[in-house]
Amino acid sequence: MFEIPILMVLIPAFPLAGTIVTAVFGKWLKHEAHWPVVVSIVCSCALSLALLSQVIHEAEANPLAVGWESTFELWNWTSVPEAIARPEFAAPADGAAALPERLPFVVNVTMRSDPLTSIMLAVVTFVASLVAIYAVGYMHGDPGYWRFFTYIGLFVFSMTMLVSVSNFVLLYVFWEAVGLCSYLLVGFWYEKPAAIAAGKKAFLVNRVGDFGFALGLFLIWTTYGTLNYHDADGIAGVLGQTRLAASGGYAAGGVATVICLLLMLGACGKSAQFPLHVWLPDAMEGPTPVSALIHAATMVTAGVYMVTRCTPLFVASADAQQVVAIVGATTCALGGVIALTQTDLKRVLAYSTISQLGYMFLALGCGTLVAITAGMFHLLTHAFFKALLFLAAGSVMHAMGGIIDMRRFSGLRKLMPYTHWTFLFGGLALGGVIPFAGFWSKDAILGAVHQRGHDSALYLALYWVGMITAFLTAIYTFRAFFLTFYGPLRVPHESGHHAHESPRTMTVPLMILAAFAFGAGMWLQGPGDLAGLLGHTPSLAYQAVPRAADHGGSHLLVMTISTIFALSGVGIAAYLYLGDDALATRLARLLAPLYWLSYGKFFFDPIYNALFVWPLLVLAKASDLIDTYLIDGLVNLVGSVPPWVGARLRSLQTGMVQFYALAMVWGVVVLIVTLLIWPAIAAGSK
Amino acid sequence: MDEQALLTNYLIVGALLFGIGLVGFFSRRNMIVMFLCAEMMLQGVSVSLVAWGRYHNDWGGQILVIFILTVAACEAAIALAVVLTLFHQSGKLDIAVWQQLREDNQAAFVDRDPSALTPKPEAQWPKLVPAGIEPELDLQEVTHRSHL
Repeated sequence: MFEIPILMVLIPAFPLAGTIVTAVFGKWLKHEAHWPVVVSIVCSCALSLALLSQVIHEAEANPLAVGWESTFELWNWTSVPEAIARPEFAAPADGAAALPERLPFVVNVTMRSDPLTSIMLAVVTFVASLVAIYAVGYMHGDPGYWRFFTYIGLFVFSMTMLVSVSNFVLLYVFWEAVGLCSYLLVGFWYEKPAAIAAGKKAFLVNRVGDFGFALGLFLIWTTYGTLNYHDADGIAGVLGQTRLAASGGYAAGGVATVICLLLMLGACGKSAQFPLHVWLPDAMEGPTPVSALIHAATMVTAGVYMVTRCTPLFVASADAQQVVAIVGATTCALGGVIALTQTDLKRVLAYSTISQLGYMFLALGCGTLVAITAGMFHLLTHAFFKALLFLAAGSVMHAMGGIIDMRRFSGLRKLMPYTHWTFLFGGLALGGVIPFAGFWSKDAILGAVHQRGHDSALYLALYWVGMITAFLTAIYTFRAFFLTFYGPLRVPHESGHHAHESPRTMTVPLMILAAFAFGAGMWLQGPGDLAGLLGHTPSLAYQAVPRAADHGGSHLLVMTISTIFALSGVGIAAYLYLGDDALATRLARLLAPLYWLSYGKFFFDPIYNALFVWPLLVLAKASDLIDTYLIDGLVNLVGSVPPWVGARLRSLQTGMVQFYALAMVWGVVVLIVTLLIWPAIAAGSK
Repeated sequence: MDEQALLTNYLIVGALLFGIGLVGFFSRRNMIVMFLCAEMMLQGVSVSLVAWGRYHNDWGGQILVIFILTVAACEAAIALAVVLTLFHQSGKLDIAVWQQLREDNQAAFVDRDPSALTPKPEAQWPKLVPAGIEPELDLQEVTHRSHL
């Protein structure tokens, strides 16, 4: 129905329009303030699906040598002629000689669509639609209702732009824009001191990552002389067809490694990877729909998207890839261990998100096409089942009157049957139980890592880390599930006497997501052929990305082991937490040091406080004192001169007419005398 | 009489007028008198303007004086109106009544009480007149009123 360029523009335009309408008229719309945003996001979702189907059709009909992409330039944002001396890698092979001596700095607002972008768009808008509908019920009656939907609309606009721009500068702009939305929504209940602190922490930790990201972009600019993904204005883009098709288009060695590590630092910040993961658990102070949409399904996957997009850069540096894999596996295990002992249901899910994002980075760090598509596959399924789990947790929180501590309630399965069943589906998917979605994607990752492990001890070790974490995942997921929904019925007094199942507008999105958490893995693995479609993305169609041979045997082995691990994890959780929890308490006492480490979240927060926050606070205090006493003192000293002089002259104002007249005459006398004797003085000085 | 001497004489007259006006302006506190003194200074300037005009054979000086006279007439009307208003408010023509425009912490100018300087004569107690004799009237009290 629509041409691809029109779709590319309309998809972000709808949420933007919805945001503006809500921002302007929200105060008057009051309890109807959700309509503009919900309708526009649903429209955007429909258009994204239309775009996806067209992209699938186009990409398969026109399989170019290095993937299929379509770009559409909207306007020129900035243009500086002759901004940089032509770098060595300005063009691949010997094409550089054809370029002028100095290259311009041009940023065009160019929208792109390729399989990677259109899949991201579909996931983002789909999850956002469901979350927005859910939020209509969840946020009902909140005094900031219209503000909430304004932020959500702004976020969806920023996120859709983030995945559909075709330039690193614009990527950075929207990277920051989603960070801003995250900040605003984490601190949404700004009367709560914890929410303010969490928002600030999220923002500041992200600054660390973004600093690295910015440096990475500077280095890309000086190395390649452009920041476009695609070829434009006769200059080969960083991820453009020309460069991908030629050989030797990418810098190797130290430069490549440094670029990748800096980009990875940015991804670590946004995607909450070790050592910058500390902000994500605190971000759970925000409303639960926000946790589901931004801090589980979409924004935190921006780092995964960015690294996937930059695959050709990472392929050029094996060292950087290993770092990505190690960071991923570390985060994965760390998140899994911490999630085992947390008592706050949303915190468990937050650490689980960190852990699952670690899986994705582990996959990206393998560098093979199979692994990268597996990482994206996990991103997709994770978006469905983790959004589901968060929304279900939100439903519990809604019924429990804002209490989310699992020690305060239990046995809710009779009270909230829909939430119970949908949480079970999400839990099975997260735990990796066959045939739920998480099983297929996690298995694809572990299979790909195992394959790299054939000739590398490092990757074999990482494979086992991933496998054991899969086991932990099953345990902590079902620990949370059993503690919440089984055992004797206990309800905190905050919920009053009306602890009940959530309204339709909340349970229906849960059920839709549950269906996806069940079926999405099977469908995308089989008939959906996600890997095949992603292979048409230029970055992934790049021939230097290693193609793995068929891996049937080992994959089957991996599947078997992971199924055994997952099921035994579920079994252990059931054994420990169904019924009497004395056993769990005894186990905690037996492994006291480990329990202590896990419960204390490995003490990252106190360590960071002592290492960074405290010295900076001292420095800030010192600067404040210098400013107050030294600088302000000097300024005030200068400022006190005129009042002092004025105070001395004040006695001249007598209010007597004749005194003023006398002063005038004296003035005239002084003038005349000066006039008379001045020639004499002037003559004398010569 | 040559031109030079003529100029000098007129300038002396002008300067005298100006000087007398200035001294009068400083030394008198009656607003009307002060105004007259200011007029006198103005006329002193006018006289010297006329003299210089004559000396330079330039009508400019005379023309300016005509203007000055006109302006002075207007100004006199305004000044007298102001004086009248002030008089209505305080009942006095003394310029020293109006010193509210001074700084807050500045002490107001107060006339020194001359009686404080000269010692008061001892009180004259009335003498009782013996009964049956008409008291003698004080001639001073009859012919003068003490408050004048």
